[in-house]
Amino acid sequence: MMSEEIKQANTVEAKPAGVQPAEVKPAEVKPAEVKPAETKPKKTQKKSDENEIFISPAPHVISPIKTQNLMQNVLLALLPVTVYSVYLYSMAGAVRIVLSIVTAVVSEILFRRILKRDVRIKDFSAVITGLLFALVIPPVLPLWMVILGSAFAVIVGKEFFGGLGSNPFNPALVGRAFLLASFTKPMSGWVGIHSTGMNIVPWTKSAEAVVDSIGSATPLFYANPNTEGVMATLDIAKSLGFDSSFELYTHLFLGQRGGSIGESSIALILIGFLYLLVKRVIDWRTPVAMITTTVLLTTLAGVDPLISLMSGGLVFGAVFMATDYVTSPVTPMGKIFFGIGCGLITAIIRLYSALPEGVMFSILVMNTVVPFLDRIIPRKYGFVKKKKPPKEKAK
Amino acid sequence: MRSFPGGTHPPERKMVAHDSLVQPVLPSSNMVWIPVTQGGRPNQPLVKVGDKVARGQKIAESSEFMSAPVHSSVSGTVKKLEPHLVTGNSDVPCFVIQIDKDEREEFLEPLDPFHCTKEEALARVKEAGIAGMGGASFPAHVKLNPPKGTKIEYVIANGAECEPYLCADAAAMFRYADDIAEGLAITMHITGAHTGIILIEDNKHFLKGELDRALSKQGSLHSTQTFELKIAPTKYPQGGEKNITLAAVGREIPAGGLPAHIGCVVQNVATLRAIAEAFNLGKPLIDRSLTISGGAVVKPINIVAPIGTRVSDLIPQHIALKDGVMKIISGGPMMGFAMKSPEFPIQKNTSGVLFLTKDEVNTEEETSCIGCARCLSVCSCQISPVLIVRSLKANDMDKALYYGLMDCVECGACAYICPARIKLVQHFKIGKAKFRAESQKKAARAAALQAKEGK
Repeated sequence: MMSEEIKQANTVEAKPAGVQPAEVKPAEVKPAEVKPAETKPKKTQKKSDENEIFISPAPHVISPIKTQNLMQNVLLALLPVTVYSVYLYSMAGAVRIVLSIVTAVVSEILFRRILKRDVRIKDFSAVITGLLFALVIPPVLPLWMVILGSAFAVIVGKEFFGGLGSNPFNPALVGRAFLLASFTKPMSGWVGIHSTGMNIVPWTKSAEAVVDSIGSATPLFYANPNTEGVMATLDIAKSLGFDSSFELYTHLFLGQRGGSIGESSIALILIGFLYLLVKRVIDWRTPVAMITTTVLLTTLAGVDPLISLMSGGLVFGAVFMATDYVTSPVTPMGKIFFGIGCGLITAIIRLYSALPEGVMFSILVMNTVVPFLDRIIPRKYGFVKKKKPPKEKAK
Repeated sequence: MRSFPGGTHPPERKMVAHDSLVQPVLPSSNMVWIPVTQGGRPNQPLVKVGDKVARGQKIAESSEFMSAPVHSSVSGTVKKLEPHLVTGNSDVPCFVIQIDKDEREEFLEPLDPFHCTKEEALARVKEAGIAGMGGASFPAHVKLNPPKGTKIEYVIANGAECEPYLCADAAAMFRYADDIAEGLAITMHITGAHTGIILIEDNKHFLKGELDRALSKQGSLHSTQTFELKIAPTKYPQGGEKNITLAAVGREIPAGGLPAHIGCVVQNVATLRAIAEAFNLGKPLIDRSLTISGGAVVKPINIVAPIGTRVSDLIPQHIALKDGVMKIISGGPMMGFAMKSPEFPIQKNTSGVLFLTKDEVNTEEETSCIGCARCLSVCSCQISPVLIVRSLKANDMDKALYYGLMDCVECGACAYICPARIKLVQHFKIGKAKFRAESQKKAARAAALQAKEGK
């Protein structure tokens, strides 16, 4: 009902009754007036919008930044990571990224067409979902799974709930969770960097061949107390073939390691993070709270904080997934608690579960409590905290 | 520089220089349309059709305290008393007065505000029909007579003029700094405030010299009082009552309260000038300076017009327009009204009239909210606009109130910044009206129940 009223208010159009702005200008007579316009007077009027005065509620001016601009900024922030992942996995990475984006866009268009809804592809939301999904899957995931997961992310994760703005869960992570539950082995098929060459590694068999030959363990695997007990940093470094812990750190920071397609380079993710902060697209609270909590808790459990920080998908998830507008709280304190919650669950999964990584599940779980976190609002203007009344003394 | 949290920066587009001429204008039709009521409770007409009226003659008043009388702004004859289009697109009763050449003038006797009783001074402010010229048209003498139990310490002269395009206040502060400072001193004297503050935004640094001079002059005349110029960052809505008290004295008006509850009186600088003139010249509020601007105006200008002058009667002699007028705004672009035609009279609170083109106005459709939280970060009241809209859509009034529906001042900062183009202010207005209707119903039901039980 409410939106109807607004629509009405917006579409009210009135011609100035007396003085028409077009008449007062000192210019010569307009061609529209010279024409014998009696046959189609309405059409000529609509063509020239000079005589139309619009009425709508204030404010009458609006900031130039639209939803598309915000989304474009997120894409720009993801660009360094994306380019780097193509450098790491060559054709195999590039094909999966393109395929995922195309699938996401096409499935959104098809779904909305079939349901006769307006196609909103211009808001870049599907492109981002497709790209994010591609960046969190293994570089040798069979191509048909990429298509399935990306379509699932957009259709089930987003459109089933009503499209952009209405989905409770992060769509890209919904797609990933679906694949992880359905195809656990291919979804854990990590390969070493630069190992795929120009090979696209399209199907399961070829992937198995590659994984078998060049499969590599991640530091997170060693850092998981469930596997072999927490190892000392130097031991982890040595077992991964490094000479010192410092060398391991640099390799992790610069992204000289395998993993999901886009999560490797901490440095490039941080560049994207800084860009989004400078452009004021995202808020610092959630990522900082999430990373701090995870690192703090795993450190308490004896894991090297820097390894904890730089391995797995923690930084990528905190910067690009936990900050998803639609599925995270809007209030400042809500964002902090959301981050802490994500960090807490990530740490628990990393420390105690059989899964090596918990970033995805932590964010999906916290997505469910967003409406509650949004109840933690800032102090409203004019609501000064009342001083506590002096306690009545007990007898 | 102290300020308020949040706020936004719409493009300023203040296109009239502060030292350029403020053009006196008269309507080309030789007629004025003066609304019978301009702020406060409804007035009763004092003159009939056919009566001759003088410039400054009182033509409408109300016996109620919360009202401001209206005066004729011209010398002429009352031709009609009829409903006419005014700001807000409604038709209200207006005196239609034909201007004659007699130039009869009927001002009040000048009065020394510093040597009369408080009651006399308040009566003068009311008698001169002074109402808030910043936009709300609130009767000025009501503000100067704060509720019992409050003690006024500060008078804040609001010179922020934070709305884009508008620059009439800046021009007035430059030209009539002495009048404004004196109006400030008078207001302080009446309310018993010890400090007077003129607050401007830092985009008006050029006024500092003039205002400092005028304030120190008042300081030397009234040695027991303190006069200060404060400069706040340029940020919309700096000129809002809630924000200006925070910026000027660091105090928050309690929810549902008045500035008087924190010892403040806030008056627009133009209102202060009118107060000074009401005492020094005995002149009621009958002229109004305002900005004529916008992308469709050939030469943006500040004008001073008799109240009741229709904007259409200034076209094209004083307002030359280009092609492509898309919106006519009475007031500023953030809070002003879009008018259906320029045939509306300039009133006591008309701070500007804008003719905007397609390039300047927002014509985009509402899209889905993505929850970017920009509206929370710009809100000067620290409420949660997006959550209010969500609650209203879910028909959850309690939640909407919790998120701050009734604390919203409708400044429009959230709707300005919204990337999804959601008409937040409009949602709030509808929500507020709904809440008021609901509470009225509740009260009526409770009263009926009580009456039943009483029997």
